[in-house]
Amino acid sequence: MPLCNNKVADDGSGPGVSAQPPEDGKAMVDSLIKVVACHRHLASCVGGSTDSASLRQELQKTRERAQSLAVSCRHHLTAQLRDKALPEDERKETELQWVAFSSCLELFHADMSKVFKMGSHFSLANNSAMVQTGMQGGTTEVTARALSQPDLQPSADGVPTDSVERLELSQLEQEITQVDRTLEEMEMKVNVLRWTVEARGPQYADPVSTDSASLAMLSTDEEGGGHRCSRSQVFVAMLLCGVATVAVVLSVCVVYLA
Amino acid sequence: MTIRNVRDHGQRYRPRMACLKKVEALVLEMQDPKTGVKSQTQRLVITTIPHAITGEDIVAWIVNRFKIDAPEAQSIGSMMVAFGYIYPLQDHKRLIIKPDSSLYRFQTPYFWPAQQWPVEDTDYAIYLAKRNIRKKGMLELHEQEQYNRLHKWMNHKWDFIVMQAKEQYRAGKERKKPDRVVFDCQERAYWVVHRPPPGTVSAMDYGLDRLMDPNMEEKKTPDYYRRIIIFTHQCIMRPRVKSSVSIGAIVKYATTYRQHDPFLCACLPSNPWLTDDVTYWDLNKPNVEIPTKMRVERWTFSFGELLNDPRGRADFRLFLKKEFSGENLAFWESCEDLKWGAAVTMKEKAQQIYKTFLARGAPRWINIDGKTMEITVKGLSHPHRYVLDAAQTHIYMLMKKDSYGRYLKSPVFKDTQKKAISPEPHRFSEAQLEQNAKKRRPSLSPILLRQQEEEQKAKLAASGPVDITQLCRFTAPVPHLAVYTGICEAQTNASPGLMTLPNSAACPSPISVAIDSTPASERRFDGHGGPASAHFPSIAESAEASASEESQPPASRSRVASSLSRLLRRGCVAQSVFASLSPKCAVAAGGGKVQPLSTEPLTQSQPRRIANFFQIKVDIPPECRIYPIDSEDEEEESPGAARGGVKEIICPWETVTKQDGAG
Repeated sequence: MPLCNNKVADDGSGPGVSAQPPEDGKAMVDSLIKVVACHRHLASCVGGSTDSASLRQELQKTRERAQSLAVSCRHHLTAQLRDKALPEDERKETELQWVAFSSCLELFHADMSKVFKMGSHFSLANNSAMVQTGMQGGTTEVTARALSQPDLQPSADGVPTDSVERLELSQLEQEITQVDRTLEEMEMKVNVLRWTVEARGPQYADPVSTDSASLAMLSTDEEGGGHRCSRSQVFVAMLLCGVATVAVVLSVCVVYLA
Repeated sequence: MTIRNVRDHGQRYRPRMACLKKVEALVLEMQDPKTGVKSQTQRLVITTIPHAITGEDIVAWIVNRFKIDAPEAQSIGSMMVAFGYIYPLQDHKRLIIKPDSSLYRFQTPYFWPAQQWPVEDTDYAIYLAKRNIRKKGMLELHEQEQYNRLHKWMNHKWDFIVMQAKEQYRAGKERKKPDRVVFDCQERAYWVVHRPPPGTVSAMDYGLDRLMDPNMEEKKTPDYYRRIIIFTHQCIMRPRVKSSVSIGAIVKYATTYRQHDPFLCACLPSNPWLTDDVTYWDLNKPNVEIPTKMRVERWTFSFGELLNDPRGRADFRLFLKKEFSGENLAFWESCEDLKWGAAVTMKEKAQQIYKTFLARGAPRWINIDGKTMEITVKGLSHPHRYVLDAAQTHIYMLMKKDSYGRYLKSPVFKDTQKKAISPEPHRFSEAQLEQNAKKRRPSLSPILLRQQEEEQKAKLAASGPVDITQLCRFTAPVPHLAVYTGICEAQTNASPGLMTLPNSAACPSPISVAIDSTPASERRFDGHGGPASAHFPSIAESAEASASEESQPPASRSRVASSLSRLLRRGCVAQSVFASLSPKCAVAAGGGKVQPLSTEPLTQSQPRRIANFFQIKVDIPPECRIYPIDSEDEEEESPGAARGGVKEIICPWETVTKQDGAG
């Protein structure tokens, strides 16, 4: 069952909300970017040889996560930007996040529209021919990354019926219109001048730092946050570090081979 | 982030691409496991990837499906590859089908070209950033250039782009190795289609963007129905032509122009769009000295072709100059100038044209029938752009039926034909083609081209053609009008380059140039190539100032044979008298333009010969206004001070409305 995303998002109310620091906003926007990236990978499989009910399910879950993130992001950023008492550098920071957020949402909107179009064309229920794209494996890891859940049971639902599929598609359509409306409202409510926003990051993405991004690493990071000083925990942590080092070495080898 | 609520009237929708739906249906048919194309596995170093198909299998399947022959099936297959529905695995930049065992794979529907979603630059930037990460900064040259350009233009979202590229890269790493390879190939193929590397042709070129969204459903409002009704009314009222006639015309056109069509026959030396070598354009410049044979052949197709080609028009002008009937072409060109020129100067232009070409006793009088003249004069009282259209058409037909035929048989044309060059076709090797592609340079800026055009016009004005008709005693009261070379016009930026009318506004010392360019028999009459029309108002003013209307006894033809040298001398004297008469006549008194005495030292024997010559050529209406000089001549009165000024050419509509200074 989908989460209640269809409620009309209300604006951030009052100056009390802006007490949250902009780093929080940055983290939210970053996670939204991550979820949208994963969603894109999933969307590229629709209609291909790995298209199945589970893929559609995964897509739906990722979508929901993205939308909830988007809603909270939007509240936060709108409140921040409407706050007149915001200091200048924070405002710049927030504007940067705002631009990133709206670009992200546009990408997401485009992907959703494509998924909708292809989903109606390549219907699972009617057993239409899928394109033989050469893909073989599943995409559960990607979904897991998107939802930040290390272990994800592949939901083997079998072939959905026609009515279920139509319901899903109509839901998707509603979500698309909602995102559309969000984008328009964003444009109306907050006046961010694009030409005044300057990027702070480097022109070229740093290749070294993007290595070693497997799920194992992620789980280590997340679990390493709240560590408890018990021996077993320490042992497990050391084991994980060793595994992590091996993973780093392996990925470096793979990169050089690819 | 893009601005969404743009409410201007810009054209931003891509046109309908109806072929995409059809190709999609075809691709889906190919997927059928039983009747579709059979697939193999591609073996890479460590992995094997299924669903690879060979080129020959694709072509064979298409042949079977549509019952066509192999070359056509191959071109259909190439079209599918060019659109991006199938991508090659080996030579990924060349989007064609090779009917051998080279491997292809189907593109995932996410990356299919779609009508409703244009390809975004943001996506391209993300792809380039990802590629940069993967290749550790070793992007190709054009990719590098694009990357820098996008960084400049999309700077405000650059953090987002880099972040998203990193996240997509990391998410990609979550997938299994063969899937990652396939996804990379898919994405690369997608971008080869939509951002083609330089030197390749893209199938997604669609020309201009449209104003209306082709995907939008049009609402059936009363306005819509009203439009449909008007449209159908017009369809019914359209004139019809028998299909045999129209087909005959098409066939004739096709056979005539077949050799000249660069799509059907290779153009010599080589098509610059294909080989990046601009010799063809250099040889076919508008005012080149020696035209190519193909160009000269085109002039023989129709009169319109001759006139539309600037070089052809120049050749025709030369011929007319030799035949002393250049005023027709000059009139036609000035009418074109009027039609296409700026609205500000239109009224003055129309009146100048009338004074120069149409009025009785005009210096470059053209011969049009009475009815057309009537219409024109009536229209000139309220001049607009197309007021001279009837006269222009008449003259055009005259030139077409008469002069054109003679031109094609003339020595001028035959000479041009003989001198025309026929360049050798180029034969470039692959390496040379790449060299040419690298050396591509933009053409001359339009500002420079315009300057060159103006210089050309000035040069032409200086060495302008001479019309002998105006040198007759009846029309040459003031000999300096003899070398009238066209409409005096201060600004020439109005004309779109269609006419290369010699602009007499900028002519240098007329005497020397005129003497150089015209044969001896005309020399004495090459008076003063001044901006005659500039003189006209001034003379008119001076005449009005002196204001004495003369009686106008009609001249008889027989009097043509009177000595012209006397006339000339008197005219020159008269001219200087005029100059002294009118203080307003600054231009005439400006000196330098009027040098009557230099034409003095010519023998008497010449004028007799010339007079006979004139008897043949001149065609003056029986009742033209006689200038005071002529009447003096006939009445054998003493030369000297002219009685009153020259009879200026009064536009008939000006007599209706009170004369107010210069016409």
